[in-house]
Amino acid sequence: MSIKVEVFSSPGCSKCGHAKEALRKLVDELGGDKIDWREVNILDELDYAVELGVLSTPAIAINGELLFSGLPSVRKLRAALETRLGVDAKREQA
Amino acid sequence: MKLYRIGDITNLTGLSADTLRYYEKIGLLPRVSRTASGIRQYQERDISRLRFIQRAQKMNFSLAEIGDLLQMREDPQHARDEIRELTRNKLAEVEKQLKELDTLRKELRLLVNLCRGSSDGCPIIENIDGADQPG
Repeated sequence: MSIKVEVFSSPGCSKCGHAKEALRKLVDELGGDKIDWREVNILDELDYAVELGVLSTPAIAINGELLFSGLPSVRKLRAALETRLGVDAKREQA
Repeated sequence: MKLYRIGDITNLTGLSADTLRYYEKIGLLPRVSRTASGIRQYQERDISRLRFIQRAQKMNFSLAEIGDLLQMREDPQHARDEIRELTRNKLAEVEKQLKELDTLRKELRLLVNLCRGSSDGCPIIENIDGADQPG
């Protein structure tokens, strides 16, 4: 079972590229088959962004839950991904 | 007890003197006491009532509905069933509006934050404007 990661970006957001790059590297490292990720342009999905509580970009949601508003450190992002992957793995075993 | 003249009330509420007299005439305000020379003297409770009327008007409630709500406001324990029902319905309308306003507030806050984060004007607003342009 994979986890769903969404990176919210907007035009003129200089840090959004960093967030995507960090995520891309972590996905490669942790296993691309386990992490289903996509970029969400806020202008295209403003209602969805507001619903999740996004207040600025970049923002990152995992499994529909907003976890980072702003550019997270690689360490924190990795921890969040590993936690979700770990939880899911335990659920699969149960 | 502090008393106010009609000019004070127009300053405080922004309502015109004609409107204040009209509200009294149609019963939205109880008869306002007068001095011996016939000058109206408003009390704090009149101001509170007028503020309620103004808020209800902003919600597009009719003057008739506002009159009923004021009865409820005056004596909620003994209000008629239909007035209680009207009050419940109006409460639901206000809560729906609040929910929509809350969503709009979040949306605007997000847009303002995105502009603040940009050193180059407000590309997100320009982008939205551009999306409406033909071609």
